[in-house]
Amino acid sequence: MNRLPIAIALFSLLFVLGCEVESPVREDVPELITQVTLTFTPTDGEPLIVTATDPDGEGVQDVQVDGNISLETMKTYTLTLSLTNGLAQPSDPEYDVTEEVEEEAHEHFFYFSWTNGVFSDPAGDGNIDNRAGAVNYEDEDVNGLPLGLATVWTAGVPSSGEFRIVLKHQPDLKTATSESTIGETDVDITFPIKVE
Amino acid sequence: MIFRSTILLLAAVSSFFSHSSAQECNGTFKGRVLDDANQPMVGATITLSGAQRGTTTNASGDFHFDRLCKGVFRVKVQYLGYENLEFELTIDGTITKVLHLKEDVRQLQEVVVEDELQHTEHAHNLATLNAKQLAEAAGKSLGESLKEIPGVNSIQTGPGIFKPVIHGVHSQRVLILNHGIRQEGQQWGAEHAPEIDPFIASNVSVVKDAASIKYGTDAIGGVIIVNPAPLPESAGIGGSLNLIGQTNGRSGTFSGMLEGGIGNHDGWGWRAQGTAKRTGDFHAPSYSLTNTGIRELNFSASTGFHNERLGFEIFYSHFSSDLGILKGTSIGNQGDLEEAMERSVPLYTSSFSYDIGEPRQEVEHNLLKISGHIKTRRGELRLQYGFQNNQRREFDLRIGDLSNTPELNLRLNTQTIEAEWETVPSEKWTISTGATGMFQQNRKVDGTQRVPFIPDFNNISAGLFSVTKVYLRQWTIDIGARYDYRYYSVAGYDYKNSLFQSTLQFNNVSATAGATVNIRKSGTLNLNVSSAWRPPHVAELYSVGTHQSAAANEYGFLLNDSTNEVLDIDAVSFKTEQALKFVATYQHNWKDFTFEVTPYLNYIFNYIYLRPTGISQNVRGTYAYFRYTQTDALFLGADLSGVWRVNPFLKVTPKISLLRASDVRHDDYLVFIPSNRYELAIRYDRPTIAGLKNFFAESTAKYISRQNRAPRVVTVAEINDAIERGEDPFEEDDANFDFMEAPPGYFLWNVAVGMSLKGESTQYDFRLGSENLLNTSYREYTNRFRYYADDLGRNFIISVKCTF
Repeated sequence: MNRLPIAIALFSLLFVLGCEVESPVREDVPELITQVTLTFTPTDGEPLIVTATDPDGEGVQDVQVDGNISLETMKTYTLTLSLTNGLAQPSDPEYDVTEEVEEEAHEHFFYFSWTNGVFSDPAGDGNIDNRAGAVNYEDEDVNGLPLGLATVWTAGVPSSGEFRIVLKHQPDLKTATSESTIGETDVDITFPIKVE
Repeated sequence: MIFRSTILLLAAVSSFFSHSSAQECNGTFKGRVLDDANQPMVGATITLSGAQRGTTTNASGDFHFDRLCKGVFRVKVQYLGYENLEFELTIDGTITKVLHLKEDVRQLQEVVVEDELQHTEHAHNLATLNAKQLAEAAGKSLGESLKEIPGVNSIQTGPGIFKPVIHGVHSQRVLILNHGIRQEGQQWGAEHAPEIDPFIASNVSVVKDAASIKYGTDAIGGVIIVNPAPLPESAGIGGSLNLIGQTNGRSGTFSGMLEGGIGNHDGWGWRAQGTAKRTGDFHAPSYSLTNTGIRELNFSASTGFHNERLGFEIFYSHFSSDLGILKGTSIGNQGDLEEAMERSVPLYTSSFSYDIGEPRQEVEHNLLKISGHIKTRRGELRLQYGFQNNQRREFDLRIGDLSNTPELNLRLNTQTIEAEWETVPSEKWTISTGATGMFQQNRKVDGTQRVPFIPDFNNISAGLFSVTKVYLRQWTIDIGARYDYRYYSVAGYDYKNSLFQSTLQFNNVSATAGATVNIRKSGTLNLNVSSAWRPPHVAELYSVGTHQSAAANEYGFLLNDSTNEVLDIDAVSFKTEQALKFVATYQHNWKDFTFEVTPYLNYIFNYIYLRPTGISQNVRGTYAYFRYTQTDALFLGADLSGVWRVNPFLKVTPKISLLRASDVRHDDYLVFIPSNRYELAIRYDRPTIAGLKNFFAESTAKYISRQNRAPRVVTVAEINDAIERGEDPFEEDDANFDFMEAPPGYFLWNVAVGMSLKGESTQYDFRLGSENLLNTSYREYTNRFRYYADDLGRNFIISVKCTF
């Protein structure tokens, strides 16, 4: 690399002086979801909050889940989901991705699955493997189809297992029977769950 | 060192020959060789028996003899399959002639390279698609048309995107010269096809040796030269119209060209040309390939002046295309990828439509070229300036109303300038020296609402070269050397969306040496060895994230292995890519059989490629990720072709391309290397039969074998299973891999018939053809859609060309 140092020095001088590229404008990144927050609000008592956080977005570090979903047996909870971009500032419009999903509810759908038995209602193990599986959706899109930002759950007998949430983007594909294999995945997160 | 010794060699050669320069012989004979359709003939042989001199026509059909002594010569022009043209010529001063060759209808003679032919103009391994072959491929993209040449292939992204591959290498390693200007688009992407309308070319040549010396860095695999027809030089208007319809994709292409002289001003000429193309969804034998339509609108205009001493030309072209990418390739994560690959029919498949939705690409390319040359007694000076503007927008399925916002939106402006001085110090040698410069700016267009996949950059490059050609008895020898310097200033955003900036510099030397020799009367041997290098592309250094249908994250060479922070180039062991390529071509002519064999070896040091590195998780799920890394790669192969003239009307043409490529450092294979392919064409030609002109019928059988030299397979299901077990499937073995087995070999049968009607001043050419006549379901290893869908089913093509 130092074969022609004089030429390089000359070129460098000429070019570095006049030809450095200006800093490009920073883009907002509204699609980037780095944090999924689950809020289980019981009919009485304090809400339980668990999060899954990706520290580096497009980078190589893995998602970290900050602990168990610990529910009380036979208690009923409303689960609300929130999607945020933790690499942005809370004041940035791109910080809250939940709104985007709400606005396009007719193209989005949350699927859930769990270890059989951790909930007494809904029964079964969810609708990821089979769309017909029961899930108590509390919201719907303009077509009257469920979305899943709000759902209701009743914990089962004491046990432990896994709880998985999949958000699919299904433009022109979302129907009452569309399976979780349809469309593009926006979220796919698994939490440990414990009922005591 | 190489540079210095080449200079010394040049000096030595020059002193050896300088004493022999002739004094009183200053006659010139030059001109152009054209066929019946007024198209230039490339590689026609012209001999002057009185002067013991010979040459071949270049890519625009031009030939040139300098320093001829006064006197009478016998001129002989030869081209395989055409009648010889012989006449006497008195040389006194400068003589310019346009020579027409007629197709040989009576008897097809062997072309014997005569004793008197001392040397040929080109010591290159050159293969050409002539006007006739291009006309027969009309309606196809440039990349697809080039597949007719043995040793040339393509990396395909579905039916619309063909990226040329020469001897197994592509993208940054293949240089495309459009009207003499280096094509500068976003070549780094495997799904970025060259932005060139094939109708602007009258012929396309492929130089298979790394003859980068004149054209700059990057020609590690070879050079594709897109040549326009020369501008008319006298009054009168002519032109042509092409109409092409295809059943697969229900496509229509319309292309027209008008050209003429300017009043009575001899030497002035102009041409205007345009192409419009519309294609809907293509179909595989058993289903529609939804969202694979293409819309293209291109036009160009040029004007110029030429006489014996000087010439100049202005050329402008505009290319724009909007093309869909198979909807079933839209992938969110590794689970989606598994689904997409396992489906027998791609997701989203629906009935035929001309609509183009996401994912799609919008590409525009503008080229302005100004060139001139002037001849003096001492030599010829050529100057050229080019301005290119490339815009690329890629749209994907996105959250919210972002589908209308491109996820990639880049503007690339490139200015190139070239000066070349060519002198002919004696009959025995020529020398050409030049300098090139390039200033390039890549900018993202704001508003993509994504971390940019590649950073903004300025690229300043400069080069100096010298090439000499020496004629020694039966030998023609080419020697050349070149020095290049490149400077990058880079500014972009990393994975955290925070700014980084850096500057980089590269410089290196390329050299080439070639020799052509006639062996007895009927053989020609051409040997070439060259060393070429290329500076890395910014995309190879700084890419971050995923892009269209890749379903994997890609990280540049300068990103830290574990944190992805951007590193300084001195902190990593980066070395520029350098190739050493040997190519030999042997051609032998028998009475009714001609064959050509081109074995080659290309050893690429520090070969940059994407290597699977690990599994990463984000809230969308898991991804395999790839990092740009370096190895040493070996490409070993041979191209074979022949022509057997069974009788005056029947011709059998076999073509074979063989290639094996390996990753030498890891003792492994590389992915997406074209497999061996075999082709046999039988063609029946009758120039006049029952009142018809130029009747032909052709049958072409192609067999593309399975790629058995492919890396191991790690299926998406295996990766997903490993993740579920909490393992990294690449932890222990990070050898190259592919998601799927190479598809089986396949056989295709194409047929075509055609004829012409000739009026007084117009000619109509009709052609009817079918591709994949048997409607075979197959998948091509080098098509990136092979994971998701079958390749194209049966296609009928009808084309009419009117020349006036």
